Amino acid sequence: MKMAFTHFETTLFLALFASAVLGVVTKKTDRERLMYGLTSFGYFLATIFGLGWLMYLGHR
Amino acid sequence: MSEKPEVPYPPLPPVSKWLPVLVVAWLLPGGGHFYLKRTYRGMILSGCILLSFVVGLMMRGYMFQPAGGDLLTTVIYYGGFAANLATGLPFFMTKWFGYESADVAGHVVDYGTKFLVAAGLFNILAMVDAWEIAVGRKD
Repeated sequence: MKMAFTHFETTLFLALFASAVLGVVTKKTDRERLMYGLTSFGYFLATIFGLGWLMYLGHR
Repeated sequence: MSEKPEVPYPPLPPVSKWLPVLVVAWLLPGGGHFYLKRTYRGMILSGCILLSFVVGLMMRGYMFQPAGGDLLTTVIYYGGFAANLATGLPFFMTKWFGYESADVAGHVVDYGTKFLVAAGLFNILAMVDAWEIAVGRKD
């Protein structure tokens, strides 16, 4: 079985896994972990969309 | 001048207390946390690492073999191999079951390779976290 995702789906999965792991290992309380995970996922999303737009505008 | 510098961490406990945790955490992703009864954190780590690894395999990601050459090639291939090895038992299972994938161009395979490497790096973070819990530097 072979799986093929789009660029967007792939980066989204990687962002999700990375922020969950970073959230769990970085902070000391569950609330801090949740907030850190959500914040880093937000930053990942902002970077994905920002770089996406940058590449789109750079290639016009 | 005569004041002693503050010790940031307590002294390490004996190796027998944290080495088994480190070995379990390496071999079974998230296993160190299960061993230390941090079940929920272990489940999240285990799920993320194994899913990342499985997605990488299903995208036919390339498993790095140590190879020399110029500096960049050496860093990429040795570093990639170290990250793949850090996944522990899932890495050995792919070897035992004969998983092979060519190092070819293409975005799906390339992303698969990144997922496999990322799984290993996540497991290194999980191992460090488990070690910190085992030596009492973290709860």
